[in-house]
Amino acid sequence: MAVVLVFVVLVAALDWVTPLGYVEWMLYVAPVGIAAVGRRPLLPLATAALSVTLLVLGFLLTDDQVVASHLAIVNRAIGSGVVSVMGVMGTAFVRTRVRVEHEAWLREREHRLQSALEGNPSLAEVGERTLDVLVDALGAAVGAFHVTTDGHTLRRLAGHGVEANDEPVELGDTLVGRCAKDRALKVVRDLPSDYLVARSGLGNAAPVTLAMIPAMAGDAVNGVVELGFFREPSERALQLMERLEQVVGVAVRAADYRERIDRLLEETQRQAEELQTQQEELRVTNEELESQANALRESQAQLEIQQSDLERSNAELEEQTAQLEERQQELVRARVELEEANRHKSQFLANMSHELRTPLNSTLILAKILADDAPGTLTPDQVKSAETIYAAGNDLLTLINDILDLSKIEAGRMDMAAQDLRVEDVVGQVERLVRPLAADKRLSFSVEIAAAAPAALVSDGTRVKQILRNLLSNALKFTERGSVRIEVAPAPEGIAFAVRDTGPGIPADQQRLVFEPFRQLEGHVNRAGGTGLGLSISRNLARALGGDLTLQSTPGEGSTFTLTLPLQPPAGARPAPPVTAHDPGPAPLAAPQPPRRAPSPAEALPASTFLPDDRDDLRPGDVCLLIVEDDKRFASIVMDLAHELNLPCLVARTGEEAMELARRMRPTGVVLDVRLPDESGLTVLERIKRDPATRHIPVHMVSGVDQSDTALRLGAVGYAIKPVVREQLLEALGRLQRTASDAPRSVLVVEDDPIQRESICRLIGTERVDTEAVGTVQGALELLGERTFDCMIVDLRLADGSGFDLLDQLAEGDRYAFPPVIVYTGKSLTPDEEQRLRAYSQSVIVKGARSPERLLDEVALFLHQVEQTLPPEHQRMLKVARARDAALEDRRILIVEDDVRNVFALTSLLEPRGAVVEIARNGQEAVERMQQEPKVDLVLMDVMMPVMDGLEATRRIREMPSCKKVPIITLTAKAMKDDQEECLAAGANDYASKPLDVDKLLSLIRVWMPHGRR
Amino acid sequence: MTELPEDEVCTLLTTIRNTYHYDFTGYAQASLRRRLRTGLTKLGCPDLAALQRRITADPAAFQELLGVLTVHVSDLFRDPSYHRFLRQEVCPRLATWPSLKLWVAGCSTGEEAWSLAILLAETDLLSRSLIYATDIDPVALRQAEDGVYDIDRLPRFSQNYREAGGSGSLSDWYAAHYGRARFDDRLRRRMVFADHDLATDAVFSEVQFVSCRNVLIYFDRGLQDRAVGLFAEALCRGGVLGIGSKETLHFSSHNHAFELLSHEERVYRRR
Repeated sequence: MAVVLVFVVLVAALDWVTPLGYVEWMLYVAPVGIAAVGRRPLLPLATAALSVTLLVLGFLLTDDQVVASHLAIVNRAIGSGVVSVMGVMGTAFVRTRVRVEHEAWLREREHRLQSALEGNPSLAEVGERTLDVLVDALGAAVGAFHVTTDGHTLRRLAGHGVEANDEPVELGDTLVGRCAKDRALKVVRDLPSDYLVARSGLGNAAPVTLAMIPAMAGDAVNGVVELGFFREPSERALQLMERLEQVVGVAVRAADYRERIDRLLEETQRQAEELQTQQEELRVTNEELESQANALRESQAQLEIQQSDLERSNAELEEQTAQLEERQQELVRARVELEEANRHKSQFLANMSHELRTPLNSTLILAKILADDAPGTLTPDQVKSAETIYAAGNDLLTLINDILDLSKIEAGRMDMAAQDLRVEDVVGQVERLVRPLAADKRLSFSVEIAAAAPAALVSDGTRVKQILRNLLSNALKFTERGSVRIEVAPAPEGIAFAVRDTGPGIPADQQRLVFEPFRQLEGHVNRAGGTGLGLSISRNLARALGGDLTLQSTPGEGSTFTLTLPLQPPAGARPAPPVTAHDPGPAPLAAPQPPRRAPSPAEALPASTFLPDDRDDLRPGDVCLLIVEDDKRFASIVMDLAHELNLPCLVARTGEEAMELARRMRPTGVVLDVRLPDESGLTVLERIKRDPATRHIPVHMVSGVDQSDTALRLGAVGYAIKPVVREQLLEALGRLQRTASDAPRSVLVVEDDPIQRESICRLIGTERVDTEAVGTVQGALELLGERTFDCMIVDLRLADGSGFDLLDQLAEGDRYAFPPVIVYTGKSLTPDEEQRLRAYSQSVIVKGARSPERLLDEVALFLHQVEQTLPPEHQRMLKVARARDAALEDRRILIVEDDVRNVFALTSLLEPRGAVVEIARNGQEAVERMQQEPKVDLVLMDVMMPVMDGLEATRRIREMPSCKKVPIITLTAKAMKDDQEECLAAGANDYASKPLDVDKLLSLIRVWMPHGRR
Repeated sequence: MTELPEDEVCTLLTTIRNTYHYDFTGYAQASLRRRLRTGLTKLGCPDLAALQRRITADPAAFQELLGVLTVHVSDLFRDPSYHRFLRQEVCPRLATWPSLKLWVAGCSTGEEAWSLAILLAETDLLSRSLIYATDIDPVALRQAEDGVYDIDRLPRFSQNYREAGGSGSLSDWYAAHYGRARFDDRLRRRMVFADHDLATDAVFSEVQFVSCRNVLIYFDRGLQDRAVGLFAEALCRGGVLGIGSKETLHFSSHNHAFELLSHEERVYRRR
């Protein structure tokens, strides 16, 4: 405006100074023009008016005339007209421009809101985004978004700078409700300062103006947007708000519909599921009915068969009955004969002993008389001889009595009396007999009756005393010094009499023998004499009385014979059968149960409590790094590095959590530790690479141990061994970032047939996939020497050799980069050939009607799962660093397994450790292999195999004399059942459960590998 | 008929699991209860407690109960359209692998496995195939391995075979003697019969095809999930899974691992 004014004054001054006739007044056009550039619509008009006034004044005030005054008048009149017209046009022009700018401003905001509401936002997201845009566009301080879905109540869905408040509001209640009801913009000005306060960390202030608009979809109100301003909002802002009514309303309606549809869809799915379940149930019922019908039919048939069987067996039975009767009669006859013979034997024994005893008696008496030498006519030698005759005769008598006793007991003819016995009497009587003998040998003798011992029992007194006497006389006989004691104590069976001596004791291996008739301990016979029947008789007697006789003894310390007797004789007590050699040994120990695998406790710690990460700021698919690591320190180091590269991070502590995060968030890359609390990192890697949702994600492994080969083969892009230096990590993270970015991939096609070659290229080539095709081994090698490919498709039949040659040459040296290989062949492969290919390629495809789609699929996989990008020297380094396991070096291991995948896994586990691996594809092959050359250090035997299973093969191998000791480890997929015990029973040394745990299997192999060289 | 008490069923199943290592806790409750009731009648036990004592003391009684708990109903080429689909659509896909492994999970008395063997033989794939047929019931498994069926079932078998698009005659594959038909040893050579429990055991081999038809219906959702998980793990990429016509992977958590090849025949492909 000032510029315009200055201009006008300048022109006026010029006009006055110069004489009339000069058309300097034309310069008045300039300020009018300048005024039209400004934003004030009336300014051009005002300038024009001023100019016209000054024009007239100029005419009047200027005296000098160059031209005629009437000409000047005409000129100035025209000039006035022009300036006036320009003024009017300028005003119109400014007005229009301002309106257009205003409109553009409105449109721009409206567009911003519309694009914010694009996609399929939920109701809450609609609220948030609307507020974000409006608050930003209008310079509001606070905002709230209310929605009604039922047309009656409003609830607040989103807020901007205000506290949450969930209380629903009726339509028509409160200002918000009023606004919705009136369906019009509502502005409340000059709010009291305590009406609403907007807070920030630094302070707070009260908005002074409140503006509300309803959100309209068509005629229906479905929400209210409320904004608070620190300053009075401009008219433009209010207009904008009014304009956005429809935009917001339509978005709210769309979101609302979408949510309803989602709910309905869920409901439908649930119903479908129920229906499915019912269908399944129906099918089950049907099947059961059918099976019952089958069972009925079967059982009817069986019944018929059984009936005929019954008839037949009836006849057989009758025949058998007749035979049985015959045999029974024979038995009766035999028994009679036997009884007769027994009677004869007893009779004979009785007679015999009588016949023997009679002369023996007289011999004894006479010998005694002689020995006494009453007349004193004998020489001392003769007396001694007589005494010897007496003693020998006595021994003979005892022997005869014992034989008689034993035969009676054995024949079951010993009658046991049932007498009421007082323990004290029994022991006393025995004591009286024995005490003098003990005194003779200067042994101390004592009796000890425990207070708790029963005072009386019912038994045969004579026999009890006989046993005790026998035990005591044995004890006295064998004990040279020390003591002999009788201890009476209660026993679980009744009462126990223990005879304890301090004699030489009985060695453990002979303890069983002392109870056998006619057996004596070595050396004892000479020293002490005796028939050797005493203990045998005593035990038989004890058993006949319903008790038992047992022995505990320690050589050098003494023996204890314990007689246990029941307090009441057993009903119908029969003598026990004679004790012979088959005394039951100690019961075999219960076989120890094999330890059952305890399920590993599922660690369910959410990572956020483990280490805070960026998960709250991330959405699925965002660029981010997943760190799988249970070492908090290391995890935070990696996270810091990633943050340096501007990579947000997720941290998982367990494999389970890692899989969950990988699936849900689809990170850009994964840094994976091998050792995790719940499962091996390699397992996680395998799972990531198996899952179609995560398979494309590059994974970098980090570990304290080197398993780089396995990891790289499973599809890791790199491998770092702890301790990892910063540069290595940075490089690894960089590689992850690079791998995730998508550069075009290249594929090499090696195929001899030009038509096939062309069609394969056509099949897989896209703008993102470059194909290069050759037909010869040489050509392929040249190309591979020049550049690297992401993937290679090889036919086995080539112009100058076979695919095998190509692969072998590639594998041989480091001269060529070896990309992942897909073998695509029309040749049918022998198992051997397939085995050979497996070392190079995970996928072998046989050409056929359906093969192109599989080829495409495999290629797509390889191009996603970009293989290791390690430089060759790095790979060599890894190979050298690879620990060769001394225990396996040069050892020959036979793998018996039909599953090619497992064979390959086991081979690549064992061969790098120096083992020589041989392969048998089933039990039969393994047995044959062992027969030909049994020099195998260890056998890994799968259980489930064709032709001959692992158990049978193990048994066969064990039958070969040369293979008795070869360690065999069986591999079984069974988790329970007695399968594992069966393996051991078949002769295996140990077993490993599938899926195989690499570490466990290796340590098992080390355990069983025989030590020392062959 | 009275309802079987929940806790007694539970105790019985736990006992079975601990004693015989068969896990029935994941079986669908309704049908399991029905079969337990049948088992009570068959073994002559008044209640579950008596049944429990009986099977704990007598393994033979448990074998009998096992036969009742597992339902064995099948036919050769049961659901002919399914087998026609296998012949026309699945076999050409399988032909792209140089060697093939196929797993018939829950093979019962073997009809499904023998059908598959015949199918493979007629599509010239059997010589490079190996069929694993697994089940938990040793009695049924032995029957399956014998490959001997009553001759009065053969008319239906033959009809199914024709409807399934059989290229020759079913009689090419069996020999009938003494009222029974025995399937050919040429087929048997490529078959492995083994005890495997979907409820407890792990995957034993990588396979290209799994057939598990009318088995999942007896499982509850959790066990169905476990079983389908095993299949997903066992199948190589591009491998094919066939399930029963009343079954679906739709609600399984492993659903994402499979894509549908045919809805009618319930044939899926491992992604």
